[in-house]
Amino acid sequence: MNPAVEKPHDSDVATRRDKGFVITQELIVAVAAAVLFVLFSVALDNFLTPGNLVALVRNVAVLGLLSIGMAVVVIGRGVDLSLVAVMAVSLTVSIVLANKGYGFGEALVIGLGFVLVVALVLGFLVAYVEIPSIFATLAVASIVYGLGRGVIADLDVNNIPSDLDWFLFIGRGSVLGIPVSIWLFAFTALVLYLFLRRTGIGRFIYALGDNLETARITGIPVRPVIVLQYIISGLMAFLAGAVTAASVASMNMRIVNSTVIYDVLLVVVLGGIGLTGGRGGVRNVVVGTALIGLLLNAMTIMDISYTVQNLIKSAVLLLALIVDALLNPRDEQTAQQGDI
Amino acid sequence: MTAVVELRDATKAFRGVPAFENVDFALGRGEVHALLGENGAGKSTLTKVIAGVHTLTAGRLLVDGEETTFRNPSEALAKGIAMVYQENSLVPSMTVAQNIYLGGEKAFNRLRGIYIAAQQFLQSLNFHVDPSALVASLGAAQKQMVEIARAVHHKAKVIVFDEPTATLTPEEKRYFFNLIANLKAQGVSVIFISHALEEALEISDRITILRDGKLIASDLTENFDREKIIRAMVGRELTGEIYGQGRAATRTVRPRGRKVLSVENLSMGSIVRNTSFSIFSGQVTGIFGLVGSGRTETLKVVAGVLKRDFFHGGEVKFEGEPVRFRVPAPAVRNGIVYVTEERKAEGFFETMGIAENIYMGDLARVRGGGLKVISMSDAVDLAEQWRQKLNIRAIDPNAKVIELSGGNQQKVVIAKALVQKPKLVIFDEPTRGVDVGAIAEIHHFINDLADQGIAVVVISSYLPEVLAVSDRILVARQGKIVEEMEPKSATEEAIMYAAVH
Repeated sequence: MNPAVEKPHDSDVATRRDKGFVITQELIVAVAAAVLFVLFSVALDNFLTPGNLVALVRNVAVLGLLSIGMAVVVIGRGVDLSLVAVMAVSLTVSIVLANKGYGFGEALVIGLGFVLVVALVLGFLVAYVEIPSIFATLAVASIVYGLGRGVIADLDVNNIPSDLDWFLFIGRGSVLGIPVSIWLFAFTALVLYLFLRRTGIGRFIYALGDNLETARITGIPVRPVIVLQYIISGLMAFLAGAVTAASVASMNMRIVNSTVIYDVLLVVVLGGIGLTGGRGGVRNVVVGTALIGLLLNAMTIMDISYTVQNLIKSAVLLLALIVDALLNPRDEQTAQQGDI
Repeated sequence: MTAVVELRDATKAFRGVPAFENVDFALGRGEVHALLGENGAGKSTLTKVIAGVHTLTAGRLLVDGEETTFRNPSEALAKGIAMVYQENSLVPSMTVAQNIYLGGEKAFNRLRGIYIAAQQFLQSLNFHVDPSALVASLGAAQKQMVEIARAVHHKAKVIVFDEPTATLTPEEKRYFFNLIANLKAQGVSVIFISHALEEALEISDRITILRDGKLIASDLTENFDREKIIRAMVGRELTGEIYGQGRAATRTVRPRGRKVLSVENLSMGSIVRNTSFSIFSGQVTGIFGLVGSGRTETLKVVAGVLKRDFFHGGEVKFEGEPVRFRVPAPAVRNGIVYVTEERKAEGFFETMGIAENIYMGDLARVRGGGLKVISMSDAVDLAEQWRQKLNIRAIDPNAKVIELSGGNQQKVVIAKALVQKPKLVIFDEPTRGVDVGAIAEIHHFINDLADQGIAVVVISSYLPEVLAVSDRILVARQGKIVEEMEPKSATEEAIMYAAVH
């Protein structure tokens, strides 16, 4: 018997939490996704066709990859609004270079280099210049998009040169009957899950999202960790871009002006990763991605207009927040300031 | 005597767990009533019920003999019950005057008018605070004054003070006590919660002591003395263990060891000015200074938390080597750790449990600690080890640190720092907001560290604490260390004289 347990301290008795089955936002979202899947399978004629499922899964993969990148930054109490711009422009860089005669592998490496430079600049701005991430990434997103449209390419849409079947395989091929893009998403999710859970740096990201000042005083190298977060989110954007480009054999920079970045934020928040930082993980992204992916797909099949789709997505987000607030009310004691 | 506020057989439970139960409490008109007890005894919750923050689970609350239920603090305020919280509730982006008159503004608010009114009002309370200053720019003590002024302004007939003197300097404390005497003369009743027993004995008419949510004693102040109060608070004799009279004179003072740290001409802005001192291993160096004397800032520079001036910033030598830490990480790796005074703001990670908080310290200890693959079982073992060493009490080992009591939170913060195997430990107000039992344990632990040969610095603005733990006392004033004293010859008066003049 543990001596510390024998002699409880009064206030700690008062704050003991009931262990056991706790309804979290993550669980609600997972159940909602499962229910919707069954509902759509029954109600929508074209939903359960192989063609649609593959399309669904492909879209989910891109959304999921971007969301993991976003999640890593959000856990560290930041936000990366430049994801979509970086995704579109970095692949455009590669495609434009490939069309000018570079080998495609070489061109991809240069595209990756572009991503790293953007990530380093972003990380530097947030960590060392101490610009709030929302402004820094918003500004950098515009600059990156401006570079893409004004300097790097003349057109919005740039096609991948022909005879690149190995690259298109990422977007179109499948292994063991499962699309490569899903393998890629699953593999990335696993790697980042292990990274966040099981490595020191992963825990540091949680620490500085929880309390930056404490993390600093504890001796955690706060600034390099912040830079690393943006490098990871940049890599995720590049990977998502590769999957997108490979599935349609081109990259359309107009995606930057769409609502994709809000879908990504929606996935992260809906999955249960609080914008206050330090909470959540890859699992939350997976369930959030599943729900939003399902919704987007079903709404497209039902031929719902783009504007109404946005309305429904926003309503779902609000609903999730309300349900969360009802099920997990503010803790009466810890939310109060001062001594008990 | 008719009671202004009375609780009868009152119980308040959070999720079925009582914070206090079956308490009878009565506050007379014009009475100063001290509420004492260890952290977690239920004092704050009790007063928050009176101030309308919480509602009773069972029992009755009577105001002026009538049964009442307050749904929120403004209902209580309307009945003349105001509360001054431990952590202040001012609007930082507004001026002092705006804060005092907050909520009472007319549709068109004339600032000049309220500045003049506030100036007169603050003068009448003998508080020297500029009414047009932004609250964000004030120090802790001045914020406390504004908070008190606001309560007085509301013409409250009952004012609840939750640890009002914790952040005040001795001089300000005197003003505060005078203020309470004035309030009392005007027929205002005062409840005040404090950890400083002398204060309770000095200014209160009646003392009520809670322990583990139960009423232990309630009697006129004349019938109490220090020992009796402590016995009632903790249920055991502790006085000798902490701040015992003559303790400083009888205990053995540890000799100086190696010179670990030498600070020369250190400057930082207008807070730290050309200060010089040395710290030696194997002993506890106590640093006393009033708020604003730069003692915290000086040591924060040493630990890399703050940066000294780039030009003419002076020199810091650690183990003979000149060092300049721009961030705390290299300082930690070199063996200097800083245990903060602001637990909540920069002490622990609130979303994490005890084990993970301590493990974070371990991970950050070495360069490349981030590259390690972590194992939760290591973390749990480590936490268990420190839990026993520091006697951290929590029923649920997975409890988040924010849910623990102040004393246990402090122990977690200390464990997180000590797990980094430091050569120099800086404790900044290690026992602020910590209950009496934990104070003794923490002092004991500080002494153990020094016995192990570690250089220990204890910054404190509580004189008995400085005298009780130090082997050497440094006094800071206006950004400088101005005097060094031996604990054998030092007295509270002498230290205070050096700190003020």
